[in-house]
Amino acid sequence: MDSKKNILEVEGIQKAYGKNEVLKDISFTMQRGELAGIVGENGAGKSTLLKILVGLLKPNSGRIHLDGTFGYCPQELLVFETLNVQENFLYFANAYGLYSKKDRSLWKENSNYLMKKFKFHQYEEVLVSNLSGGTKQKLNFSLSILHFPDILILDEPYSGFDWETYLNFWDFSKEQKDKGKSLLIVSHFVYDKQKFDKIYKLKNGVLECA
Amino acid sequence: MTIKELYRNRIAIILLLLIPTLFYALIVLTTSDRIIAFKLASISEETFVQVSEESESLIFIGLAVVGLLTSFVALNLMQKNFDVNRRLIICGFHSSEIILSKLIVLVGVIFLIGLYAALMLLLFFSPEYLLGVLLGFVLGGYVYGCYGLLIGSIFKHELEGILFIVLLANIDAGWLQNPNYYAEAQSKIIIRYLPAFHPSQISIISGFTDYSFAVSFILSITYGAVFLIAALIIFGKRTRTKK
Repeated sequence: MDSKKNILEVEGIQKAYGKNEVLKDISFTMQRGELAGIVGENGAGKSTLLKILVGLLKPNSGRIHLDGTFGYCPQELLVFETLNVQENFLYFANAYGLYSKKDRSLWKENSNYLMKKFKFHQYEEVLVSNLSGGTKQKLNFSLSILHFPDILILDEPYSGFDWETYLNFWDFSKEQKDKGKSLLIVSHFVYDKQKFDKIYKLKNGVLECA
Repeated sequence: MTIKELYRNRIAIILLLLIPTLFYALIVLTTSDRIIAFKLASISEETFVQVSEESESLIFIGLAVVGLLTSFVALNLMQKNFDVNRRLIICGFHSSEIILSKLIVLVGVIFLIGLYAALMLLLFFSPEYLLGVLLGFVLGGYVYGCYGLLIGSIFKHELEGILFIVLLANIDAGWLQNPNYYAEAQSKIIIRYLPAFHPSQISIISGFTDYSFAVSFILSITYGAVFLIAALIIFGKRTRTKK
């Protein structure tokens, strides 16, 4: 294993809630420019694993080494419903540190690109609470990529996408992959298996190659 | 952004102004203007004042309503969007930046409601020292606002938070701190240690006398600070990333 090329190294992650062991000795690595998928049934522990990877949950044991910036798209909709699309973009851009004077031109460029790519222009001033479910999901995803991170960690990212957004999502993913960025996608099902470099299956808390 | 969110909730803003008006109206409609005598508890056991029952009730209810409203606003600020705020923290914000933004909004709300409630008193009578009454209202809002932040940082669900606020604010600010009740109370020591005691003493002292309220001012600030520090610690722990 060439650790220099690895952007993510996960070693021996174990997580239990009381006596219920959700994750058992999970280990895997991801290289730069790699697109990996994790599939599993409901309650298999996929979201728990992702929450551990991004720091929302603490594992009982194990080690994670992330070499770069990450973006995280949660399964549930975590956006400000009483703000509009543009304001959500700005709020998260501030959190990523993109709205400093130094990076403002880069942020404008990124923002315009995403607005165009995912067709947000017509919704810029619309309150999120007034958007359709699919558009909210698109915003949920877009907020995780505002800073064009080195690795994207996505939990059921395309559930609720319409066909055009689904195609745009894969188009964006390919662009990022070609630039050496990595993507880890968790889903109940993986369609378009040929798009993935690796697919893992999480079953009974054990991660195995699918 | 937090201010924008609150500003867009027009019904809540209307209610924040309507509720004090209704409380005052109820007092004016139901209380007589007979002269009553009561003890100024924070000055000494022998210091009595004689005032109109209506004026005394107006100051008491003014402080109670400011305390109640700010504690609910604080609870809402803490609980609403909790998970989205956690997402912002993993994106790069520090939990102190998030809570500071809420605190700034809360301070603004406390001043606005306190000022509105104090100025409305002028429609019914002229307090001896209006700025002192306003200070008492603002400190009542501050102490109960910080209590709301603490409850909001402990409980994830709205119902538990509301019940905890109602439990304390109703009994304390809405009942026991009425000087009329306090004068005849059996265990005064309990009332003196409740959060609204010192702010209400500041308002009552300023409303009818020119006595100093320096001790009550310091103790009000301290009481609120204890709630605030506890809220900061708990919120920080709950939103901390696990890396």
